[in-house]
Amino acid sequence: MRYRFAMFTLRLDNNTWLLAAMALAIAPHTPRLPIWISLLCLAVGAMRLIEVRLPARWLLITLAAATAAGIYASYHTLLGRDAGVALLVAMLTLKLLESRTLRDSMVAIFISYFLVITHFLYSQTIPTGLYLLLVVLIITATLIGINHPGRQIEPRKQLRLAAVLLGQAVPVMLVLFLFFPRVPGPLWGMPTDAYEGMTGLSDSMAPGSISKLSQSGAVAFRVAFDGSPPKPEQRYWRGPVLDFFDGRSWSATAAPDPKPADITVTGDPVSYTLTLEPHNKRWLLALDLPAKLPPASRLGPHYELLADQPVRQRLRYRAVSYPNYRAGLYPGATELNRSLRLPALGNLKTREMAGAWKRAAKDDGEIVQRALELFRNEAFFYSLTPPLLGINSVDEFLFDTRRGFCEHYAGSFVFLMRAAGVPARVVTGYQGGETNPFGNYLIVRQSDAHAWAEVWLKDRGWVRVDPTAAVAPRRIESGLAAALPAGEPLPLLARMDNAWLMQLRMSWDTLNNDWNQWVLGYGQERQYDLLSRLGFEMASWKELAVSLTAGVGALLLAFSGFMLWRRVPVGADPASVIYQRFCRKLARAGIVRLPNEGPADFAQRTAMLRPDLALSSTSISELYIALRYAPHPNASDLRQFGKRVRAFQSQLPD
Amino acid sequence: MMFRLINRPVWRRVFNRIDVEHGPITLDRQRIFILPTRHGLMFAMVLLLMLVGSINYALSLGFVLTFLLGGMALVSILHTYRNLAQLRISAGKTMPVFAGQQASFTLCLNSSSTTERYAVGVMLEKQHPQFIDVPARETMTATLALDAPQRGILRLGRFTLFTRFPLGLFRAWSVLDLDMACIVYPQPDTARLPQLAGVQGLGDRAITAEGSDDFRGMRPYHLGDSLRHVAWKALAQGRGMLAKQFSGQALPELWLNWDDLAGMTTEARLSRLCCWVLDAQNTGLSYGLRIPGSTLAPGNSEVHQRTCLEALALFGIAPHKNAHPTN
Amino acid sequence: MHPAIDQAVSQAGQIILGKERQIRLAFACLLARGHLLIEDIPGVGKTTLAHVLAQILGLGFQRIQFTSDLLPADVLGVSVYDRESACFKFHPGPIFAQLILADEVNRATPKTQSALLEAMEEHQVTIEGETRPLPEPFFVIATQNPMHQIGTFPLPESQLDRFLMRIDLGYPDARSERALLQGSDRRRMISQLKPCMEGEQLAALQENVRTVHVSAALLDYLQALLEFTRVSPLYDCGLSPRAGLALLHSAQAWALMEGRDYAMPEDLQVVLPGVVGHRLRFAHGETGAESSSPARRLLDAVAIP
Repeated sequence: MRYRFAMFTLRLDNNTWLLAAMALAIAPHTPRLPIWISLLCLAVGAMRLIEVRLPARWLLITLAAATAAGIYASYHTLLGRDAGVALLVAMLTLKLLESRTLRDSMVAIFISYFLVITHFLYSQTIPTGLYLLLVVLIITATLIGINHPGRQIEPRKQLRLAAVLLGQAVPVMLVLFLFFPRVPGPLWGMPTDAYEGMTGLSDSMAPGSISKLSQSGAVAFRVAFDGSPPKPEQRYWRGPVLDFFDGRSWSATAAPDPKPADITVTGDPVSYTLTLEPHNKRWLLALDLPAKLPPASRLGPHYELLADQPVRQRLRYRAVSYPNYRAGLYPGATELNRSLRLPALGNLKTREMAGAWKRAAKDDGEIVQRALELFRNEAFFYSLTPPLLGINSVDEFLFDTRRGFCEHYAGSFVFLMRAAGVPARVVTGYQGGETNPFGNYLIVRQSDAHAWAEVWLKDRGWVRVDPTAAVAPRRIESGLAAALPAGEPLPLLARMDNAWLMQLRMSWDTLNNDWNQWVLGYGQERQYDLLSRLGFEMASWKELAVSLTAGVGALLLAFSGFMLWRRVPVGADPASVIYQRFCRKLARAGIVRLPNEGPADFAQRTAMLRPDLALSSTSISELYIALRYAPHPNASDLRQFGKRVRAFQSQLPD
Repeated sequence: MMFRLINRPVWRRVFNRIDVEHGPITLDRQRIFILPTRHGLMFAMVLLLMLVGSINYALSLGFVLTFLLGGMALVSILHTYRNLAQLRISAGKTMPVFAGQQASFTLCLNSSSTTERYAVGVMLEKQHPQFIDVPARETMTATLALDAPQRGILRLGRFTLFTRFPLGLFRAWSVLDLDMACIVYPQPDTARLPQLAGVQGLGDRAITAEGSDDFRGMRPYHLGDSLRHVAWKALAQGRGMLAKQFSGQALPELWLNWDDLAGMTTEARLSRLCCWVLDAQNTGLSYGLRIPGSTLAPGNSEVHQRTCLEALALFGIAPHKNAHPTN
Repeated sequence: MHPAIDQAVSQAGQIILGKERQIRLAFACLLARGHLLIEDIPGVGKTTLAHVLAQILGLGFQRIQFTSDLLPADVLGVSVYDRESACFKFHPGPIFAQLILADEVNRATPKTQSALLEAMEEHQVTIEGETRPLPEPFFVIATQNPMHQIGTFPLPESQLDRFLMRIDLGYPDARSERALLQGSDRRRMISQLKPCMEGEQLAALQENVRTVHVSAALLDYLQALLEFTRVSPLYDCGLSPRAGLALLHSAQAWALMEGRDYAMPEDLQVVLPGVVGHRLRFAHGETGAESSSPARRLLDAVAIP
């Protein structure tokens, strides 16, 4: 019974470790959890810390049932990502209340490990990774602590051993990570809430929706160009095309004709690799206009690139675009009709002005010019914080407020065109991007979100017109920060005034990009790439399994060799180590020193057995005795001793 | 855990080939077994879950974590193995006990390498283990307790040395038999020595009655002198511990005879004699022992007492030490 | 080899033939300020050895023949009332000498034995409350007859520990015995011996013994030896720290005699049987006693670190 006590009861120190490990594992989840679960964690933690008597089993079961009910009440389900995490956290917390035996503690540790992995459902950034590595270290140290019954080990040793174990696991992890066969796609249906909270373009545009997105410094995608990047004014990244106006917001109509109209391209193509952050929608971004499409994608009716599946993971694809193109010279009638539709009512002043323009103009091109001149010559301002607009939003914008962001200009421009009988539509996407000099790629952020217009002109097809460029030309050439007047609130990352900060920011982004590319983006494609480069053409599961087992086995063998090989003890007397070498040399000649044989006796015996070695072995033994037993041994003697032993030959000269 | 497997017939056949050994044993590859524990299997299940989750959600860092923990579990096999490997086990001293008491067997665990060993468990079958840490290049002792129900020689038999350190996912163990034995004296019964029975306060009165007129002087007290000879009066006067010296302190020789106990069973006789030996030693009498087969000349010393008790313990038992006594 | 000791040893060797190791051990014991117990049957030269040592070292010599009726006062001395001066006058016993030969010490009663042993330990004698120092150097050679004899009191273990070494002389080999039989009378030879060292010289040598260097490596070995006796079931009970000190001092003395200013494992190994022989006992049931001595087993079992 005494032993049982020593072995199984959680000691305070292990208890503290366990509490700390679990607190660290739970902490990042707390903002996402209902407040009452966080409070439950705190309460249970406090109970364990002051060592209250643990509740009885029936009470625990009741408590667990109540917690499950509470979670169901909060999420209306027990399945799914968020509810699942909440349940796991609650389970772990309640497990603490019955941590009496070693087994309970082990289960708590395992749940903690599992809790770590759930964080990756929300974030897989470098800081998250580093933080969770620390958490894993602490959990492992705790695991070591609870497997050391009796006296507590020093925390420093505990941590060091945990670090050694994890450090030695890294090579094994690398081999498995690189060679474990990757299967694309989910194994089963994903819970619907798995992809909430992804930012990006929306499939509709109301005044203020893009300006809101522009406040975000989040990365939308990164592009590495094969050659030199195109000029800033050509960097129009096409996203959803919106051709339906309901009087307030623009949205896309479901296209009955999925085939895009004809395209003819001229000039040099631009090839690039784009890494798109997940946004849970189907469109892929591409430079106007994409000609060679990435796999599992198609071109939509408005030349937008569409993936077969919503983009829920970071997606890396190659595409080729032609900045010089002619598209839709011969569009279908329905398409043109859709691009002329306006709501029946509202915005009368605008309609009137457009009607006047139409009557005066010789052709559609002139109407476009009239509209752009209006924006250029009248007192229009580019602003992230435009005043709110009423029912007749276009009228109010064009004649009263005259302050707006790109969606205001693009929207009102398209309205004007349609009112004047020119087929037009709104194109949203991104414009510009920042060049990262360290990584030689372009970063496009949500703050680069943009909206522009496309008009259809006879003999020219669909032509891009950017009314924002007429108001704030610098927006197109230099980006948002340059275009906005001073005093406008800007996302921090879009500010470029501090060179030092800029550099830091760019280095950080390079690191993030590499992280995304090589760690997070390591999937089936990259794996095949790596394997074929290593000589596994069309690697099969079998080959992968063999290489995996071989790799891990070789690593473990190397470790065991390293760990179990009898090494020279640290702190051993160097003279003694050298003397051992001397003894081994003699042992090879058949003269084995007994463990209890003194050096002088051994030398004497050697001299008797092998008179030819008498001189050398005696002098070596004398040096050894002097070094090991005499007062004040000196370093030169040690060197001399080492030299003699190295030179010592026990073999008989032939 | 895995130890339970050993009790099953198949395993028993495998592990029963353990030889009784005398000298120090160094745990090498042939002696150490290693298997995952129940917790290790549980951990494997958790890892499998994590792996499936990582595949389903395509979590790259999930893969990293899963493989890191898997690698750690694999590496821990080596650490667990190393925690026992090259450990030197040797038998320590065992003190004789009386029947009915618990015998303590001391084992010396020596770590000659530079690795510190943690939580090395030592246990007898079906008993709770004792855990000890063995620092690098040091020797630690572990004690195994075993009930000694009968007089004679108590053999420790087979014991297990195991460790689950560092992660508890694997258990390395070695079953050893170091041929350790302990002498179990007969259980003394409560009957007093007849010569002293009835005499209250045996100590001083019994002695002073013998050679009171031969007080010769005093000398400094030495460890080992009987406390009855201490001059307490002198001590009280602050002259330090002095021992009284007597001349002609020729106490009568007392013979403890097997034959005096006719009519009792062998074990009862031995118990009675054992009690008498203890009594006689306590009173400072010079006593001798006569039992069939051996006669021990009178004396009074620790060594003499031990010799007498050993003779009683081993009565009727073959003298060579490997013999199994009554059990 | 130290020249003065060398000379002394060779001189002693001329009288006690074929016993160089024992003579040297006796010298080492003396240099380490310890006392010597010689255990052997009568007639192998125990007394002669004591005589020779006293003569060579120029020490004051007293011989006490222990018998069963010997009283402590016969060893230490007594105070006798002196009529002329009307006070007690102390008549020192034979113990007041530099070299004592306590012959057949196991014949005396334990009381008398302990009187001698206390004096050995403390280098002083306390009689009737008065403390009298013994001369320096003070060296006791006690002899004991190991054969079980009626009416003897073998020294108890606690008393044996007071002797630094116990040696046995054994029979001489054939060549030495022949030389002994052919040679002249030993007594006359002893009386003709010239002292080869003075009192101060001996004291200086004894002082030097303590300055002999003992390296950490040697202490490791010594501690390993002690540790082994304490944990091994071979032995009844382990060596005491006093035994450890005895080993150390004896090894130092041996090293000094070898002319070295540092001690090494071989020194320890040479003196160990003498030093631990009377302190170490096989445990019950250990049957190694016939094949090997406890000291031998100890030396075999412990490796030199």
